[in-house]
Amino acid sequence: MSIRLRFITGLALGLAVGLLYGWVLSPVRYVDTSPNVLREDFRSDYVLMTAEAYGAEEDLARARMRLAALGSEPPLNYVVAAIDYGLESGYSPSDLQTLNRLAVDLRASPANPEIRAP
Amino acid sequence: MRRASTLPMLFGLALGLAAGLYYSWRVDPVAYIDTDPSSLRADYKAEYLSLVASAYAATGDLERARLRLAWLALPEPAETLSRMAQSRLAASGLETEARALAALAAALGERPLQVLKTPAPGETPATPTASPTVAPTPTRAASPTPSPTPGSAFELVDREAICDPALGESLLQIEVLDAAGEGVPGIQVLVIWDEGQDRFYTGLKPELGLGYADFSMQPGTVYSLQLSQATIPITGLAAEDCVGPEGEPYPGSIQLTFQQPPASP
Repeated sequence: MSIRLRFITGLALGLAVGLLYGWVLSPVRYVDTSPNVLREDFRSDYVLMTAEAYGAEEDLARARMRLAALGSEPPLNYVVAAIDYGLESGYSPSDLQTLNRLAVDLRASPANPEIRAP
Repeated sequence: MRRASTLPMLFGLALGLAAGLYYSWRVDPVAYIDTDPSSLRADYKAEYLSLVASAYAATGDLERARLRLAWLALPEPAETLSRMAQSRLAASGLETEARALAALAAALGERPLQVLKTPAPGETPATPTASPTVAPTPTRAASPTPSPTPGSAFELVDREAICDPALGESLLQIEVLDAAGEGVPGIQVLVIWDEGQDRFYTGLKPELGLGYADFSMQPGTVYSLQLSQATIPITGLAAEDCVGPEGEPYPGSIQLTFQQPPASP
């Protein structure tokens, strides 16, 4: 076996071991995540909790702030996504109603209403 | 000669290993996009906890709250909630959250939480939102936590001096009961003295009763106390003068019992 071939064999073997170790045996561990990377079911439940709390607190600004933790999209999008997920996953009608109420109120009261010229 | 022939392979192996690790850890690491609440950063976890408590305060659904808390995999959820309630109370404008946290802590103290395994992807989710029955359930489960009758103020029904050296300190013990004699958690207690004041909630020591709260008094200081849902403050509270078995004086405690009057027909 030539020197070149031995080098390439070692390189390939090392690369394989490195990838195996880095991806499988000791992958990067994410311990300080934010709600925007939550799995869909947890994310939808987060939105449902927000809607439940909103039902009692009637504080739309607080609900918006809670939903903002899920990412940079408009809060209404997260509620609509949660309703879609809820319909697929068999949420109870009362839960869907709770989510829907928050969606309706968010739609009716945009956070940054467009200022129009008189 | 043999060593010289293996050197290129060892060199390639080391280089390949370094390249593999660099690629898998830095260039294209395993991406976690479907995480569970237990991996949240501490501040997000606190916000999540607060949200669980607020949702519980709104719905009274303890089983759902227990499941949500289990996802966070906290070692002592009730204690964590109690600590958070106190810290939220110290921050102005967060009394509603503090009250919700205290109420959930008290409810959990009544029935300790079991740590549940987070469902893996693909596993049947134990989502609290997925109703096991298709039948519509428009009404929520009633809260198992006793709650005060709205509008009825608590009244001081008993004031008792306690001389118990086993307590080790002079305590102002408060017991808040509803009209049925059940302890009521989440009632704010305000204690004022010449140099300061303190606010806390009933139910933060659920092992002593859902309606229980206490405050450590300093001998020689006179305190006033008021419940958030009582009209008349209790003034002139001070450590009782007690005498030990060998005649030595020591500061005793006071127990105050508040109760709601029965609802008028």
